[in-house]
Order: sequence, then C-alpha cells, then structure tokens
Amino acid sequence: MKHFRRLSTPYLIWCLLFILVPFVLIFLYAFTTTGNPVRTLHFTLSNFAKINDPAYIKVFVKSLGLGALTTAICLVLGYPLAYIISRQEEARQNALIMAVTVPTWINMLLRTYAWMNLLSDNGIINGFLKFLGIDPVTMMYTSFSVIIGMICNFMPFMVISIHTSLEKMDYSLIEAAMDLGATPAQTFTKVILRLSMPGVLNGVVIVFLMAISSFMIPKLLGGGQYMLIGNLIEQQFISVGDWNFGSAVSLILAVIILLLMRLMKKMDVQREDG
Amino acid sequence: MKKSGFFSKLYVILCFAFFYFPILITVIFSFNSSKSLSRFTGFSLRWYEALIKNTDIMNAVYVSITIAVLATVISTFLGTITAIGLSHSKKIIRETILTMNDIPILNPDIVTAIGWMLLFSSLGFKKGYVTMLLAHIGFCTPFVLTTVYPKVRELDPNLAEAAMDLGATPYEALRKVILPILKPGIFAGALLAFTMSFDDFVISYFVTGNGVKNISIVAYNMSKRINPTINALSALVVAVIAVILACMKLVPRISARREKKRRAAALASGKGGGDYTEEGSKHHLRRIAAAAAVCLFMWVFVLYLRGRSGTGETAQLRVYNAGEYVDPDLISEFEEEYGCKIIYETFESNEMMYTKLQAGDKYDILVPSDYMVERLVQEDYLQPIDWSLLSNADNLDPSVMGLETDPDNTYSVPYFWGNVGILYDKNVVSSEDLSEGWNLLMDTRYAGNLYMYDSERDSFMVALKALGYSMNTTDENEIRAAYDWLIRQRDEMDPIYAGDDVIDNMIAGNKALAVVYSGDAAYIMQENENLGYYAPEEGTNEWCDYMVITKDCKNTDLAHEFIDYFLREDVALRNTQYVGYTSAIKSVREQAAAEDFAGIDAYIPRTGYNNDEVFRYQDRTVRKLFAQLWTMVKSK
Repeated sequence: MKHFRRLSTPYLIWCLLFILVPFVLIFLYAFTTTGNPVRTLHFTLSNFAKINDPAYIKVFVKSLGLGALTTAICLVLGYPLAYIISRQEEARQNALIMAVTVPTWINMLLRTYAWMNLLSDNGIINGFLKFLGIDPVTMMYTSFSVIIGMICNFMPFMVISIHTSLEKMDYSLIEAAMDLGATPAQTFTKVILRLSMPGVLNGVVIVFLMAISSFMIPKLLGGGQYMLIGNLIEQQFISVGDWNFGSAVSLILAVIILLLMRLMKKMDVQREDG
Repeated sequence: MKKSGFFSKLYVILCFAFFYFPILITVIFSFNSSKSLSRFTGFSLRWYEALIKNTDIMNAVYVSITIAVLATVISTFLGTITAIGLSHSKKIIRETILTMNDIPILNPDIVTAIGWMLLFSSLGFKKGYVTMLLAHIGFCTPFVLTTVYPKVRELDPNLAEAAMDLGATPYEALRKVILPILKPGIFAGALLAFTMSFDDFVISYFVTGNGVKNISIVAYNMSKRINPTINALSALVVAVIAVILACMKLVPRISARREKKRRAAALASGKGGGDYTEEGSKHHLRRIAAAAAVCLFMWVFVLYLRGRSGTGETAQLRVYNAGEYVDPDLISEFEEEYGCKIIYETFESNEMMYTKLQAGDKYDILVPSDYMVERLVQEDYLQPIDWSLLSNADNLDPSVMGLETDPDNTYSVPYFWGNVGILYDKNVVSSEDLSEGWNLLMDTRYAGNLYMYDSERDSFMVALKALGYSMNTTDENEIRAAYDWLIRQRDEMDPIYAGDDVIDNMIAGNKALAVVYSGDAAYIMQENENLGYYAPEEGTNEWCDYMVITKDCKNTDLAHEFIDYFLREDVALRNTQYVGYTSAIKSVREQAAAEDFAGIDAYIPRTGYNNDEVFRYQDRTVRKLFAQLWTMVKSK
C-alpha cells in the first residue's frame, strides 16, 4: 500500500522541527555546564550526579508515589463509571461522555481555586460542618487536598479512555461467559477487564503522566512543602535559572516514564499470551 | 441494553456531583455581592460588570476559543492523515515518528514550553497568536495520533485494497471506506485535542508575547488577589460551552430534518431515494466545509483584529509588570491621553520575567525589584533614564532614592516600595510576644498556626536575620546555620509554605501568623481588622520596585512620558488605592496613609533603620546553594 505512505511526510517534517530540535536542545543542556550549550560545549555528567542527593531523591519518590496513588484511585473510581456509561443506549452514552468531558474545559486553575475555597480552614465545607455542630477539619495543604484536586482534574481522562475500549465490546461475550457457567467475578476478570485492557493502560499512562508532572495543583492545594518533580523542574528553570540541572531532571523523568511504559506494555503482551 | 440499577444510577450521580461541585460553587459565588469566596452575602452582578469592562479578559476568551478550535481542526487533520500514512510506511519511519511523537506527551509541560520558547526565539518568530497556535498544534497532534493510530491498526489492511480493486481511487477509498470506520477514534482524538488546548497554561504562557493572552494566563495573573471577576469568568466559560454544545446538538438535527424533507420530496417526485452512503458522505463533506468556512472566517477576523491593534500609525509601548500591580483604568486613560497603544503583560516573579527576557522577548518598560535591576544593569539590558524628561520627578520620596542596587538611580525610577514583616492575629498573639522578633516564628505555642513565604530568598532572610547575620551573606557557614534554623522550624513548628494564597488565607483568618510583604499586609488589614503588622528589630528586607527602560526601547520619549505619568500625584494616588502597596510619591503616601489606610501601620514601612537591608544580586553559585537547601527544607 504505497498510496497512503506520503500522508505521514508532513508530520515527519513537523516532528523534526518542532519536536526533535527542542529536544536536542534540552538534551544538550542536560549534558553541559553553564552557558549557551551551542556556543560553548563543555560536556559533563555532573548535572546527573547532583540528583543523587537525599532531597532530590525524596522529591522523586514522593512524586512517583503520589502519581501512583492518584492513578489507582482514578482507575478504581473511573472504571465503574465508564462501565455503567458503556451499557447505556448510544445517544445517552454520547451525552454522558460529553458530560464527563465538559468539566475539563473549565480552566484547571479556576477549578483549583474553587477547591481552595471549599477546603480551606474557614471554607465552605468547614462552614457546613460547623453548622452541623461538627468540629472543623484541616483539609488544605495536605495530601488529601492535593489528591482531591488531581482526581477531580484527571479522572475524566481515565473514564473517557476506558469507555473508548468498553464501547466497542461485544456484550454477547458476557452472556456467553455467563451461559458457560462463569461467576460474575470470573466474567469480569476474564472477559470484561481483559477486553478493556488497552483503554485501561492508556488511561493509566495519561493520568500518571499528568499527575507526576503537574506543578500548579500541588503548589496551590499542597503549599510549598508539597514539592514534586514538576515543581523541582519549574524551580530550576525559572527561579534558579539552572537550565542544565532542570533539563537533567526532566530527562531522568522521561526515562523513568519510558521504562514504566515498557513494563506496562510487557504486562499487556503477557496477558494476551497467557 | 440492560436497564441500569439504582446503585449504578447513584454512582453516576455521585461522580458527576464531584466533577461539577467546584464549578457550581464558582458560578454561585460569581453572583456574590462581597469579595468573600466562602460567605454568600447577597446577590449582585458587579463582577459581571467588571468582567465586561475588562477588555483584557474578553480578548482572552476570544483567543482561547479560536486557538482551541483552530488547533483542534488542524491537529485532528494532521494526526489522522499521519496515522493512516504510518500504517503503510516503512518500519523505520514509523518507529521514528512514533518515538518523536511521544516526546511532548512524556515531557513535563514546562520543559516542552521552554524548548519551544527557545525555538521560536532562535527562528526569530514574532511571539503572539501564531506562535501560540503553532505550539498548541504541536502538543495536540501527538494526542490525536496516539488515539487514532491504534484504530488504524485494527483496520483490515485489505479494506482499502478491496475498494480500489472495485474501482475506487485512493482518495475515494480513504474518504468512503477508511475514514467512516475511524470516525469514533477521530472524534475522541479531536475532543482530547480541544480539551488540552483550551485548558493549557504553561506552554501558552511561555510561547506567547506581545500581549496575546488566553484565559489561563489571565486567570493566573488575577489569582494574586481575591478577585471574584475570575468567578464571573468561569461562569461565562460555562455559558459559552453550553452554547457550543447546544449548537452541536441543534445543527445536525436541523440539517437532518432538512435532509429528510429533501429526500421525501425526491421520493415523491419519483426520482428515487438515491444511494444512502453517497448521501451520507455528501452530508459529511458539507459539515466539514461548514467547519472550514467558520475557521477561515475566524482566522480572517483575527488577522483583522491584529492588524487593527498592530503596528498601525499609533505609537506603541510594551510594558511588562507584575500581576495585579496597576490600576488597569490608568493604563487605558494614558492610552487616550497620549493617543498610543500599551501592550501590557504581567509576570509572576522577577525570575519569570528574566527567563522571558533571556529568551529574547522584547519589551520597552519593565517593573523589576531592586536586586533584579542590579542584575539587568550588569547584563546590559537597560538604558539610562533621562531625568530631565521627568517633570514630576520632584514628587518622589527621597527616602526611597539612591538604594545600593542603583545608587544614583541612573536606570531606575521607584514605583512601589515596602518591607517584609510578620502579620499576626491580635486576638491570638499578645503584644509582649512581639519582642521575640523573628523567633516568634519558632515559638512552639504557635506550632501549626503559621505561614512562611514560599520563596527561598525571603525564607532565608528570616532565618539569617533571626540569627543576626546579613541577609546578603555569601558565607557558607552562615547560610548553613540559617538552613539549620529553617529545618528546626519546619520540624517544631510545622509551617505552611504558602505563595500568594497567604493573602486569602489571612483575610479568612485561617492562621495566626504569616510572613508577608508590607503592601500585601496593608491590603489584608483593610479586609480583616483583627490583624496587626510589625517588622522585627533584628532587621528585615527593605525593597523597592522600579520602572526601567530596556535597550530594546525605540520610542524613548513615550517611555519617559509613561513613567512620568505614574509619578503624577493624582495617578499615583489612584494606583496606590487600587494596589495597596506604598507609593513612592511622598505626598501621595502621606495622603493615603491618613485617609485610605488610616490606622494601618503596614502602609508606612519604617525607613532608615540600620538593620534593614536591600536584597543584592546573587551570583549563580549562591543562588544554586539557596535553591538546593530550600528544596531540602521543603521535602520532608
């Protein structure tokens, strides 16, 4: 099929200019010392060595942990929603998926400000608790507030992604499994979950990526003590102006993400084989 | 289809409640009569009035929507044809494209943003609408490609072949066979692209310029102070989306009805119903054509707008100031008075401003702080002020002239000034406690009850001053001692390292103590009268923000007129009333202190106090050390 081959040429050119060139720049920064990397090339690995510091390792561990937790919660809460939606009539499905998408069009910052007002010590939720005679709870500037903000922002992406693969599932397979004596649990793990695996993986990747690289949500809902990789990179690029170290951190992040994705792909392949 | 049970219905309702709750709150509070974001005091439309008057926001809405639509259409097209092409190309090309395609998805936004900022600058692009659009296409297309490509792979490769064997041209095979099957995938990709584009902040901020802003950028700048106009803006966005959705629902329905009528008429006239798929694809094409026409129209409109506000005959001045740091009415009045156009942009921190300058963005007037002025002078970004052109220069307060960072004020004209101190709740903190100075922040009676300021320099200033050192020290032992102080404070006091959100928090009275700038303190104390402000005896940071003219400025006469305008007494008074920071004009400061800020001592920071210092420019090594130590303080 040579006919359609040429269709990908424009994007190839685009990628070279808009993706490869900036990436090479970042790459150069990561492996050089101070100054303009193009004019004066001083290769070094010191930027990477610097990351081997307890403070930075803590930042990485915390980010990955928080990202994993957020992703897991989004998956557990989002899967049933996607499943319920996929079992509706088509027109209704479209409407519901639209309803899941619309909140993401309201600016993320604006929604996060709303959460700040809801969760703050003298905020709306605590006002309501006081009204009920319950002692106020500290919610702002904790893991709780950060995770709530992230879930509210990222869960729609999980739902949409899972729904895409559930939508085209042949439901007679479920009936067949049940007819053949599978328990509901077996039907779910062996048929439904397996068939929706591509959507689940896609959703997990998208949510995880957003969660570990976001820096506005932790900054606003978690306060300065909530330092994640995104904040570290922002700090290096903006306030310190150390682009070399900032680039090194983001390269390492990219490598970690790539490895995780490989791992997940492998899991997926094994599933198909086994 | 099975009917959904009670529990699944309940679950769906709960999920949507969670998604829509914050939005609902925002919409409700956009009708609030007071500034409070947690107490509803009465119905009012004042924030909508403010919104409509604010041309900046209205332009941003327009930019956000047009960019999102254009980027979606273009990236969907590009992503789809690439996906189809890929499934037929050589393995090496396929792998290359797919790997490169993953880079923008894998990289944190900020890295992608900086990469593009560098690229556009080095290519010499004029930053603005076009660069923002290109960047949006750049990060939307990967999402479209990753969504559509798996669908293409699921296709039977023989489908197109079969169609062509039956006499279809490649184009027809594509349009009539392949695209209809891919439609759900393409739609999902387009939706994702629109979402990403409409919501983007980081990338847009760094690649834009010349005053082109989207909603996120405006919202971010407005967040510095409680400004319920952003709630009105959210409500407006909700309304816009509702209208778009209604159109999407209505247009196909109307055209379907028309189609039906037409078909019925054709049937009645005995010409036959026509081939269904033929009709269907025609219908499809018409829709695409309509969408394209709309986009073209918008494009022309944008070009027209840009042309109108662009390099016409009127003189222009590019001003780059901190967010919420000017009364916007004063800017428009200056434009009218001098018949010129001000391209006004805002930054969050001096460092953010510097990053953009470093990338080659051009401005005429900047408003940096003292230590940044020193750095800009050293790095040759500024041109000297011609003081003879400033007729109002005599109004300036002598006590803020000639600070060490620019001793003769060769390059800098004071704008606002102040210091840093402790804001405390008078009902919780007794006045005797204040004698503890900065060590009040280490008093365990207030553990868990204080905000530190999330900025390495300000926090280290507190620690260094508490220990009796200079805040500009480069002695590593002193810096390490300050670090130990901050670590001890973190462990014993459990402070929250807040940014500008400290303003809202202190107005709401959430905690008893906070480290704040005097101008913010004055503003907060106007809203919450239980608070007091004091600058510790050990000394503090005395700072001043200046108006400076860059080397890029060609129209220096106009630039001087602009600076002179802000030295005028009536203008400076309105400005200080709006912003809340201490004016650099002596008579204005005295008047505002007596009237607008009566009883608010934070408005008049002390001057000439020996222990107070001005921040000096730090070299890279010290800056890096501060940043590293500060990261260690924050990462528990």
